[in-house]
Amino acid sequence: MRGLRTLHRCLQKGGHFMKMDVVITGVGGQGNIFASLVISQYAMNKNLNVLGAETIGAAQRGGSVVSHIRISDAKIYSPLISRGQADLLIGMEFVEMLRHIRLLDPKGTYLLNAMRIPTVLNNMGLDEYPANEEILQAARNYCPNGYVIEASALAKKLGNIQMTNVVMLGALVKIMPFFDYQEIKWLINANSPERFKEPNARGFEEGYELIKSN
Amino acid sequence: MSEKRYVMGDTAIARGALEAGVRVVAGYPGTPATEIVEECLGVPGVHVEWANNEKVAFELCTGASLCKVRAMPVMKHNGTNVVTDFLMHVNFTGIRGGLVLISADDPGGLSSQNEEDTRILVHQYAHLPVFDPSSPQEAKAMVKEAFDLSEKTELVFCLRPVTRVCHARGIIEFEDLPQNLPAAHYEPDRERFIMSGVEVPKFGGLKRPQIRHRWLNEKQPLLQEIMEESPYNWMEKGEGKVGLVGCSMGYTLVKEAEQYLDQKLPLLKLGTLPLPRKKIKEFVKGLEKVVIYEETEPFVEGLFKKIFYEEKIEVEVLGRSGFVPSDGELNLQMILETIHKAAPGVKVNQPEVPALDIHIPIRTRTQCVGCNYRGILNALKQTVRKYKGIVAGDIGCHDAGSFRPIELQSTIYCMGSSIPMASGMTLSGVNRPVFAFIGDSTFYHNGILGLMNAATNKINVNVILGENTVTAMTGFQPHPGTGVTLAGEKTTKVDVPKLAQSMGISYRVVNPYDIKQCREALEAAVKEEGPSLIVSSMPCYLLSTRRGQKVFEPREVVLNPERCNGCMICINDFGCPAISFNKQQKKVSIDPMICVGCALCIDVCKRGAIS
Repeated sequence: MRGLRTLHRCLQKGGHFMKMDVVITGVGGQGNIFASLVISQYAMNKNLNVLGAETIGAAQRGGSVVSHIRISDAKIYSPLISRGQADLLIGMEFVEMLRHIRLLDPKGTYLLNAMRIPTVLNNMGLDEYPANEEILQAARNYCPNGYVIEASALAKKLGNIQMTNVVMLGALVKIMPFFDYQEIKWLINANSPERFKEPNARGFEEGYELIKSN
Repeated sequence: MSEKRYVMGDTAIARGALEAGVRVVAGYPGTPATEIVEECLGVPGVHVEWANNEKVAFELCTGASLCKVRAMPVMKHNGTNVVTDFLMHVNFTGIRGGLVLISADDPGGLSSQNEEDTRILVHQYAHLPVFDPSSPQEAKAMVKEAFDLSEKTELVFCLRPVTRVCHARGIIEFEDLPQNLPAAHYEPDRERFIMSGVEVPKFGGLKRPQIRHRWLNEKQPLLQEIMEESPYNWMEKGEGKVGLVGCSMGYTLVKEAEQYLDQKLPLLKLGTLPLPRKKIKEFVKGLEKVVIYEETEPFVEGLFKKIFYEEKIEVEVLGRSGFVPSDGELNLQMILETIHKAAPGVKVNQPEVPALDIHIPIRTRTQCVGCNYRGILNALKQTVRKYKGIVAGDIGCHDAGSFRPIELQSTIYCMGSSIPMASGMTLSGVNRPVFAFIGDSTFYHNGILGLMNAATNKINVNVILGENTVTAMTGFQPHPGTGVTLAGEKTTKVDVPKLAQSMGISYRVVNPYDIKQCREALEAAVKEEGPSLIVSSMPCYLLSTRRGQKVFEPREVVLNPERCNGCMICINDFGCPAISFNKQQKKVSIDPMICVGCALCIDVCKRGAIS
């Protein structure tokens, strides 16, 4: 049983141990948990260790939701990702991504859905929601390797904003070679209720196309 | 045959209990423990239920245990407080069939009204053994072993998982469930199970409570011996004179911290109470100090100090009595900082991350758009303003009425405290109308006693029962006012008006989607002497919508900007997320994408701008 310290050293020395720490942030009802299950099952099917954590409870009432997924071929101890550890940050909403951005390794990658969900206090004029450009600037200053996509807009165009998560997964597969196109697609299908199987597959495919090869 | 699944810690705990042959599971919903009960459902021969409170659940499980079957009461820390009276008796009698109490703690109060450490209550006060898991896998193994040990020692065993164990997800091995469990049978043993201050001739006429206390004390060496051999306590070698001790998430965080340290410090992982004294003595040989990381109180720390005093060991003991912050959840940052403080020679190489210079708005929970509570809360807000009333609140979805912007309820404590607190406010002579607002699940949990008390003692208090027929906050669990069981079978449903009648309390049933009707009922209640009950009755909107049932006829709601003068009453007294305020125009607007057409705001606007 090798500890993470060993893992860390191996990585530094270019060893063969791997880790993929993923944080998914959003607002209750955006489908974080579905995305986190697909990613976790993907890792499990590759015979990797997976440990995750979810904040749930206030979720269905429009609260902040964050999922942590830790993947490694070494033993994983804490289910929580700490400051600067995440390799990938998936933001389903502007402010929610910002709230957790310091979990991301500045050398990591973020994928943001360009969607604003104002808070109750924002709506009431009792608190300010920063402008999109201000948020994007802060994110760029923090981490240069980011992708911003209109996943919710595409999902809505495809007929259901609930498909935002599968659109995001499609884009993810394009930007992170760790995730295999066919396998993620298969897992989305396996985890979707019958009537959503086809639209979800389409959302995934179109999400993949959202990222231009460069 | 076994199978690996990626599941939540709560599911792992449930599976552990089922594999151990649990036959009766009962609890009351509460984050983070709720799913443990739900995940036990569906196994033939296993009875699983929501009890109306945790004490009922615990007592029911003890009854089953005395008939020699395995039972598991499940609750969050607040529930363990409710159980304390019974716990302080069952610890003296002991049990027969394995009885494992699940007492889930929520460090940091992520989904709770308070934060506390129930290890103290169960171990220090009731002298019962506790397992403190550090992962879903360990929690599952511990539950299984706790059932065996509970039978072996005849004592209640407790598993105390924290939120990060309950709501962590990990790969869990599912093994087969046992077949052909032994049949239940009961044999009387009055010397044990009649807890009464009666003389015991065998002990020279000493009273039974003292004899049973002695019995419990005499169990302690056996527990000590078991924990000395427990697989949940172990040592990891390291260099230096500073040793670390990790319990629960404290252990996992120390393991995380190791990757950032230039030196591996000696580490002792502890998961049991009582502590393994011999192992601790061996661990501290040659050390100058130990730092103890535990959730949440400095409890193991105190026990270390006691052991060191008794064993004349001169090693400094540091931990959550101030060296590590004494409140909230442990985190990696706290651990790295305190390791460096305790062992300045150890270098911490955690990469820095840039700071963020931008305002991040807080996202506060509120009632759902379309929730019927918003109607009765608004009517109450208006009434309270008119009569200078005071509102004592309770636990549940309606509590969001106490946050900004509505700020209605003045107090929220624990389950059922609203009615007695409101009663006390009235009796203080404060000379203002006093209201208690309580949801129905909470009412059946403990609130009903306060109402009965107000009736008997003729206290002039106005009680509003928000009857949404389900425990909505924790995810729609049924309660005595629902009419179905956890397993989905039809059952009786408490008839609240008949209940009020039998107590001799005046009552009014109102539709919360009719604010005018609510207001009239509230005003009538204020004007009458003695206790009044207002039953604001309508099924939960969110649950009804999911089931395709309508609780109101949705209609298009439009705002006329000509008439809106920006008074913000619809925001400050109503707080619907569909209504927003435009600072430039000084007018509100309704977002048709969010609005579900409950039309409550029409009555809220005094200028007739909403129609």
